[in-house]
Amino acid sequence: MYHFLRLSVLFIGLFAASCGYAANATPPLTTSDDLGPKVEQPIEFPHDRHAGDAAKGGMQINCMYCHTYARRSAVAGIPPLQKCIGCHQSIESVRETPRIKKLFEYWEAKKAVPWKKVHDLPDFVRFNHERHIQRFIFKQGKPVQEACGYCHGDVKTMTVARRQKPLSMGWCVSCHQKDHPVDAASTKTTHGPNDCWQCHK
Amino acid sequence: MSIVNLLGNWSDFRQQHPSDEHKHLEYKWAMSIDLDACTGCNACSVACYAENNLPVVGKEKFSHGHSHHWMRIERYWDNDGREFADQGAQFLPMLCQQCESAPCETVCPVGATNHTADGLNSQNYHRCVGSRYCNANCPYKVRYFNWYDYPTTENVWPEPMRQQLNPDATVRGKGVMEKCTFCLQRLRAAQSTARTEGRSVRDGEVQTACQQVCPTGAITFGNLVDPEAKVGKQWMQQQVELNKDKQVKDTAEHASKLRGYRVLEELRTYPSVMYLEQLRESAI
Repeated sequence: MYHFLRLSVLFIGLFAASCGYAANATPPLTTSDDLGPKVEQPIEFPHDRHAGDAAKGGMQINCMYCHTYARRSAVAGIPPLQKCIGCHQSIESVRETPRIKKLFEYWEAKKAVPWKKVHDLPDFVRFNHERHIQRFIFKQGKPVQEACGYCHGDVKTMTVARRQKPLSMGWCVSCHQKDHPVDAASTKTTHGPNDCWQCHK
Repeated sequence: MSIVNLLGNWSDFRQQHPSDEHKHLEYKWAMSIDLDACTGCNACSVACYAENNLPVVGKEKFSHGHSHHWMRIERYWDNDGREFADQGAQFLPMLCQQCESAPCETVCPVGATNHTADGLNSQNYHRCVGSRYCNANCPYKVRYFNWYDYPTTENVWPEPMRQQLNPDATVRGKGVMEKCTFCLQRLRAAQSTARTEGRSVRDGEVQTACQQVCPTGAITFGNLVDPEAKVGKQWMQQQVELNKDKQVKDTAEHASKLRGYRVLEELRTYPSVMYLEQLRESAI
């Protein structure tokens, strides 16, 4: 009698496992693989308004207009407050909205906005933004939002950015193992560096 | 890293022996140290402490052999039967020799130490489990083990001093092995700049910390692949070849007067550091 019981438990277990596998087998269509925690920023910065498609009311500003250090330095850095004010002092239409008022409060107090870090790598990892941007945008001629989106997800649809990818070593290596074309015109491919000291310090 | 990739590129990860088939394509970092210029001032050692976040362990732990000097000055006394040596001590700055065929690499049970494409012997602290086999197998004794958690429990860098730490180098925790990296953070920064400009790193563009501070300029560092590099010219002038375990000049009938040699070369480690022998009075 107990044998029947055991067998039924096994079948239920197998069924549950196969259901779980089937659910995992179809990947979601969004780019988020591993959502990070929600980060409360001092000002709820609308990425969708700045970088989003024009059809959805976005301004389609290039990522590298504000995140200007990404293409010439290892760290992307935070855009300075001057950058925000540089445009917003002459955009009268949104001047009296709560977020912009807050922005100008920081500006008049001569204080930097204390933005919080969203994509934080461990201290023992050396990730170089410049190398990836030079490679994908300037050599291969990929669209900026696609190249940035490999790691940052579809930021143009978000307000405050949220981590979309695991940013783990296995995830980095999964792309470094692939063959990428050297530049837009050539058929020659190469893969990312694979030795430990390229990224670990 | 997948097993397929590891097996497919085995020779990239475990270089057995330097040979013409496995040439260094773009970079091969190497050094030469002129012992005749070295005054034993220890500036290189101090610079290394500052650059690479090395903990100062104190007198007691030092006497137990727990020090962390990636660059250390060894002293040798040539007394020749007299009470004191005529010329005082002879100095030899000893650092990781970044062997081409490193004995430490083959014994690591977890593959934490590997050979990189630019000819460095890499040590990955985060993979290291602290078996200390590598240290036991290193003929130069240049690997240092973290017996204590220096940043936290030992509090080597109390609060304001934390500001001195180099953000481009890791602060190591307890139970991992560490060693000289040829100032990896500087190499990578220079390589990245050069890459963006579409060229190789120029000679003299990157300096190691020890080289930078040496008051007598005894240390030369550079890329052996680069024909313009000073370090390569020195190696060539001294007829020291990277891929030989016995230099041709030493086997010659008449011993040559060239000063270049590599430490414990006969062990077939193929070190990347060449020393230039000190000129002794007896030799002149």
